[in-house]
Amino acid sequence: MARKDLTSEWRTRELVPALAQFVVLALVIANFGFQIDSRNAPAIAPGVLWMALVFAGLVAFGRAFAAEREQSSLEAMLMTPASPAAIFAGKALAAALLLVLCEAVLLPALALFFSVPLSFEVVSAVLLATVGMAVLGCLFAAMVARVRARELLLPLLTLPLWIPFIVFGGQAVQVAMGGGGGTGNASGLLIDLDILFVVLTSLAARFVLDD
Amino acid sequence: MTKYEKGALAAVAAMVVAAGFIFLYAPTDALQGPVQRIFYLHVSSAIAAYGCFAVVLIGGIAYLWKENVAADRLARAAALVGLVFTTITLVMGMIWAKPTWGTYWTWDARLTSTLVLWIIYAGYLMVRRLADPGRQAARFAAVVGIFGFIDVPVVHFSVTWWRTQHPGPVVINDALPPQMLVAFFVTMACTLFLAAVMIAIRYRIELLMDQAAEKVVPAAIAAPTEAGGVR
Amino acid sequence: MSVIVAASLTQRFGSEVGLDGVDLDVDAGEHLAVLGDNGAGKTTLLRILATAARPTSGRIEIFGLNATIERRRLRGVIGFVAHAPGLYPALSAAENLEFYCTLQGVDRGRVGEVLELVGLAELARRPADKLSRGAQQRLAIGRAVLHDPKLLVLDEPDASLDSGGADLLARVMRGRTAVIATHDHALANRLCQRTLVLRRGRVVGVPTRLRVVQ
Repeated sequence: MARKDLTSEWRTRELVPALAQFVVLALVIANFGFQIDSRNAPAIAPGVLWMALVFAGLVAFGRAFAAEREQSSLEAMLMTPASPAAIFAGKALAAALLLVLCEAVLLPALALFFSVPLSFEVVSAVLLATVGMAVLGCLFAAMVARVRARELLLPLLTLPLWIPFIVFGGQAVQVAMGGGGGTGNASGLLIDLDILFVVLTSLAARFVLDD
Repeated sequence: MTKYEKGALAAVAAMVVAAGFIFLYAPTDALQGPVQRIFYLHVSSAIAAYGCFAVVLIGGIAYLWKENVAADRLARAAALVGLVFTTITLVMGMIWAKPTWGTYWTWDARLTSTLVLWIIYAGYLMVRRLADPGRQAARFAAVVGIFGFIDVPVVHFSVTWWRTQHPGPVVINDALPPQMLVAFFVTMACTLFLAAVMIAIRYRIELLMDQAAEKVVPAAIAAPTEAGGVR
Repeated sequence: MSVIVAASLTQRFGSEVGLDGVDLDVDAGEHLAVLGDNGAGKTTLLRILATAARPTSGRIEIFGLNATIERRRLRGVIGFVAHAPGLYPALSAAENLEFYCTLQGVDRGRVGEVLELVGLAELARRPADKLSRGAQQRLAIGRAVLHDPKLLVLDEPDASLDSGGADLLARVMRGRTAVIATHDHALANRLCQRTLVLRRGRVVGVPTRLRVVQ
């Protein structure tokens, strides 16, 4: 399932370059908006990182089920013995990988433009948060795919539940980048949240995908 | 008078009693002055909201498990009432904040998570409205309600987990003088009663709406609009 | 032996009614044609028969199993060609079929056979969005028979089929129980032994045996 999605993406090659471009643009605009200099960069960089990631994520998930929607393939997939949880897992995996690709562009660019160090902690924090964000985004993308006003509803549903990931991810990144703040073990919390939401979304998948 | 009207009257009477306790029985706070009296209703509303959202959670789970339409209807009613009480909590909080902190709003953990709670359940109601009525709306809303409830403990414990501007827990920590404590429990009981009455009334409204919808039978035959159907 | 037994099927969408008390039964190996104008409820009925949707009320049994509960099991033996083709535009015809093979738990070797069956063997590598509408429809039909289903449910498959489509349908339906929705009476005549006419969600008249008109 994941392979199908990724192959699809590769062939059309529309989403990834667009996201990459968007991400770089976001960084540039942040620079002007926040008037970043070498002093406040470590404080602001985490915020910019997560904002860019959240918006990229929304775009990515807005499109996640687009192909299925256009061609009613979701129904055809459900008509097979494949379990909805498996279908969901495949889609979530593909979406997560796309987000990771985005981050592969975003993080180096961030390090470059804002002169902030890119350590293992930063990368791992971002990756941990991505897991949780991916499953939640995928679940709500599936829900919203068959509903009117989906561009409005997707952020409305997804963002509130992404907030814990942004908060703890932000803390972890901030600490790793040398800014102060952050209490306790943010990365550990991210892992806990990941486990919680992966389990919950897998259980919820069959209610959202099937009739 | 129907039982709903009686219930409504009783709830109003209860709130009047509570107001009496708040303004007449409870002493004025030495530090904060009269504005402190907002605390009673503010906290009671928050707890009522938690209770409503717990009903949404249970109703949602019951619906997903057994396809019990009454459970879904109850969840719908409770979500709306819960949203109302969350709004009251936020507004009362803002009224209190201005004289006390000098600002209506601050982005501390308690306020932010409460606002997020509001957004989540507003989302619940929107999903209900926008999805295909019937099974799809009920399922999706149940999922939103279940995931959304995760925010409730966050809101509640936010003052202990993080450093916040918002005052910490006073009732549990026994930091209130006995008269205030009594006033608070009275207000809380009355508010919970009010919430229950509101949910019951709303449930009835939803039931009537559902029944009306089912009566519009023969005339219109629609083409299905789900994905894969005829457009 | 009855493959499908349905009683009082009703489908509501909010306050609108798509099907109103439809009864039908289909025997093994039989081909049933469902006729009716647009909006009569053909698609709604077929989706229920294919277990793609559940009726608001009513009973339906397929292969002796309760179709509203045992959907996953039944889907392994039902093939459904919906109104929309359900294909992935960026993938080639063969890749589309391979993907569904994996989902169905069917051996990849079937892909070649099915492509032959629907006459798309030469276009196997062409991306699905570059196929003509007729070819896409053939591919969709191929997808539906990948797992050799015992019951075939086809929603207006003739609508975009090119010439030779009727032959393809006959080939595909042979040896299976089939329910096909169509506007084309001549096609129904040719392919099916019985008809059911729907109007405004209700069955009109009695399911009749088609007489072969010379």
